[in-house]
Amino acid sequence: MSHSHTDQEAHNAEAMAEIKKVTIILSIFTIVELILGFWMISLTSEGLILAIKGTIVILMMAKAFYIVAYFMHLKHEVKNLIMTIVVPLSLFVWFIGAFLWDGSSFRNLRNKYNPYFKEQATIKVEKKEHGAAKHEATDAKHEVAPAAKHETIGTSHETAKPEVEPYY
Amino acid sequence: MSTTTTASPNEAKLWEGGKSPFNSEYGKVMMWYFLMSDAFTFGAFLISYGTVRFSTNGWPNSNEVFKSFPFAPEGVNAPLVFVSIMTFILIISSVTMVLAVHAGKNMDKQGVVRNMILTIIGGIAFLSCQAWEWNHLFHEGAWWGANPFLNADGTASTTNFTNFFFTITGFHGFHVFSGVVINIIMLIMTLLDKFEQRGHYLMIEKAGLYWHFVDLVWVFVFTIFYLL
Amino acid sequence: MSHEAALHNHEGHESHGHDDHGHHEHHDTFLTKYVFSQDHKMIAKQFLITGMVWAVLGGLMSVLFRLQLGYPDSSFPWLESLLGKWAKGGQITPAAYYALVTTHGTVLVFFVLTAGLSGTFANFLIPLQIGARDMASPFMNMLSYWFFFTASMVMLSSLFVETGPFSGGWTAYPPLSALHDASPGSKTGMDLWLISMALFVVSSLLGGLNYIATILNMRTKGMTMTRLPLTIWALFFTAVLGVLSFPVLLSGLILLIFDRNFGTSFYLSDIFVNGVGALSNEGGSAILYQHLFWFLGHPEVYIILLPALGMVSEIISVNSRKPIFGYMAMLGSLFSIAILAFLVWAHHMFVTGLNPFLGSVFVLLTLLIAIPSGIKVFNWLTTLWRGNIRFTPGMLFAIGFVSLFISGGLTGIWLGNAALDIYLHDSYFVVAHFHIVMGVASMFGMFAGVYHWYPKMYGRYLNNSLGYLHFWITFAGAYLIFWPMHYQGLAGMPRRYFDFSIWESFKQFADLNRFISTVAMIVFATQLLFLINFFYSIFKGRKVTVLNPWEANTLEWTTPIRPGHGNWPGEIPEVHRWPYDYGKDGHDFIPQNTPVGEDETGTH
Repeated sequence: MSHSHTDQEAHNAEAMAEIKKVTIILSIFTIVELILGFWMISLTSEGLILAIKGTIVILMMAKAFYIVAYFMHLKHEVKNLIMTIVVPLSLFVWFIGAFLWDGSSFRNLRNKYNPYFKEQATIKVEKKEHGAAKHEATDAKHEVAPAAKHETIGTSHETAKPEVEPYY
Repeated sequence: MSTTTTASPNEAKLWEGGKSPFNSEYGKVMMWYFLMSDAFTFGAFLISYGTVRFSTNGWPNSNEVFKSFPFAPEGVNAPLVFVSIMTFILIISSVTMVLAVHAGKNMDKQGVVRNMILTIIGGIAFLSCQAWEWNHLFHEGAWWGANPFLNADGTASTTNFTNFFFTITGFHGFHVFSGVVINIIMLIMTLLDKFEQRGHYLMIEKAGLYWHFVDLVWVFVFTIFYLL
Repeated sequence: MSHEAALHNHEGHESHGHDDHGHHEHHDTFLTKYVFSQDHKMIAKQFLITGMVWAVLGGLMSVLFRLQLGYPDSSFPWLESLLGKWAKGGQITPAAYYALVTTHGTVLVFFVLTAGLSGTFANFLIPLQIGARDMASPFMNMLSYWFFFTASMVMLSSLFVETGPFSGGWTAYPPLSALHDASPGSKTGMDLWLISMALFVVSSLLGGLNYIATILNMRTKGMTMTRLPLTIWALFFTAVLGVLSFPVLLSGLILLIFDRNFGTSFYLSDIFVNGVGALSNEGGSAILYQHLFWFLGHPEVYIILLPALGMVSEIISVNSRKPIFGYMAMLGSLFSIAILAFLVWAHHMFVTGLNPFLGSVFVLLTLLIAIPSGIKVFNWLTTLWRGNIRFTPGMLFAIGFVSLFISGGLTGIWLGNAALDIYLHDSYFVVAHFHIVMGVASMFGMFAGVYHWYPKMYGRYLNNSLGYLHFWITFAGAYLIFWPMHYQGLAGMPRRYFDFSIWESFKQFADLNRFISTVAMIVFATQLLFLINFFYSIFKGRKVTVLNPWEANTLEWTTPIRPGHGNWPGEIPEVHRWPYDYGKDGHDFIPQNTPVGEDETGTH
């Protein structure tokens, strides 16, 4: 691993250039993400929003790649080390897929068999004021027993579920 | 594993025993696998968040929740501004960390010290931002088990939005905090010439891996909570 | 800049190894040699003996609840003196029954078969068989044990709190585990359970990272990955499974802690508790916890099983005096089992409201496990085939393992099918399946390992006659206990019930239950016989006089009879061949450190 002096300097310059490059790339990706995020606020089209969200996820993965590959130096490690890191990470594919699949299935099941759950998603409630009332609820949370807690919170939720009979 | 058969003759030699197949000491190998393990911890949290969000009918709009800014008048509408500052702080501190590791490889003590200090400042700045945001949200009535925000479509929201927000950003903040502590220890060790005596700055490299991992996790947390 | 300096730090041990021949090192006090030891061999023994203590406690618990199941109408006054208010009038109360079942499960799965099995043998065998002086980080190794010990103490203390230990099943599903008011065991008992498990996760992480780094980085010269004994491969995959799956459990438990103490509702929704009223928790999903739990839970099954698979492969090969059949196939099947372990978790959840289409994918992935398992079984059988078999107690237990692995594995194919599982779920069929394939089989692997490596651990032999007695009673007992349970399960008998005598449909099993309970007690008593053998032999057993009593090829038998810290007094041996050169070129066995001869036929 011994380099001659000029080698060492060339190597240094190269490494610094790489750090600079990756910093710029990460910044640009983040700025693009933010622009997309701002743009999304004004949008109403479901399809377009979904497409933008997909783009953001891709940018997120790209950022992750640059951090791991260059900042954490993985790209310059021995191939063996890269493989032992990357191969186990692929377990996340099924980890994410199965969990989210079952999550959305759970929502569909409840919407189908639990009318209360479905109805709740259609009742609009008043936007609550910023103020002391919520603090009470927050602080009470910690001290009171579950039964009492139910009452405290219940008042703020009263509007949310007016006279829907529980089905369970 | 499978790489043994496909590796070039030079790489195949690495597996013959008597030395590390990765050309690195065991501490770095352990740090990498620890980070893998930690990635599964964070992964499990974020995937749980996704699962619950997918199984709920409505969800608050992050742009309506995270729209305030320090010292700005009450009711200011500045979504994404504050969090983008936090993100840049963490990216910059990651860059200074890379520079510290790089300086360490060149046995440049001054460079290590300078960049470690910058990294620590970045970490503390990030933690301060997070403390401000938590405090602000708390005063809006948000906490574990309390969610003052409505769903994007105006229906009542469950508390899981804030539950997950505080748990996951809290767990990340805890990692940032321990990263700052580790970096401070590394800085002190550098100042005491510990690494000069050892002849290498490998410890800085390992601390760097941890710090970049914290940055990496923030990339995901930031995107998932504030943008999606 | 070079890594070499750091890499060779370990050679510091070398000088250390020179001056001791295993008796005593001058600087070692009692505390540093037996308590806070950093010698992997001592840490292994600590894991083993702590595991044994837990095995006795966990086994005793099973005897107590089998007493209830076998003799539901009788009362045993001595039970009241033992358990006090938990056995009023000499009969175990339902609350105590559930606490016993829960603690039995938790303790045996995590403390005995995870820490006690892979903790013991990974620590003991990895440095010895790969030719290293010690683990990569002996200090972390010590911490790993002491975290486990602390976890043990916390779990033990939960047995003595007033409201009793946690009693909602070892899986700790919410809401029973998430609500203090759900049951007596859900109060302090559950808090202690959570603390204990969190400590245990830390212990297993410290241990696992160490095992992986040691196996990858510290192999001796010539020890390529494909020259590693299968024990090491198995322990390697075990460690990988632990490092990647335990953190997911930790996340799940952290969310559970928030649900318990900080008013969140990650797992809670729409709940009414008798005597408390409706809870305000909304929007959570109890199934989420099950997913998180089983994402660990299923790899955990293989964490328990893989070390046994590895040790059995090694022991069978040594005692058949034949090379292991299909080394690469064995390796590949270990690898694919390790991968599949992460893909099949939801087959534990077919009846919890899992999406049936998702379930069908899990059925497919689950059934794939049959392939590597089948490969392993056939390879063991073909290794035994026409071998010159030496029936040592260790070998008997290894063969017993193969038998149990087949019997229990076949019922796994039944249960892996969602359609059948809907009927069999939570019945005694499941109890029989996982006790045979995971519980008893892994215990057999552990016994095989203890009998086989005892001479290396203590420099003495275990008593053979007691060993044979131990094997035959345990082997017959295992089948007598768990075989009938298949029939009970097929007849619909559910698990976790307190008293079957009040059910008209299960009255027919009264005699059978009594029979099972009786055998369980006999088998438990036999394990005490093993313990007597174990502790007696440490001090009075027949002394080992030769370096290599089993005439095995692996490196641990090249160390002195009682190796000191550092393992080899001189140079670490260099490896020239794989560990399975038995009956080759007219030699009965050729140890790994023997250089390849000139006219030797193809070497591995």
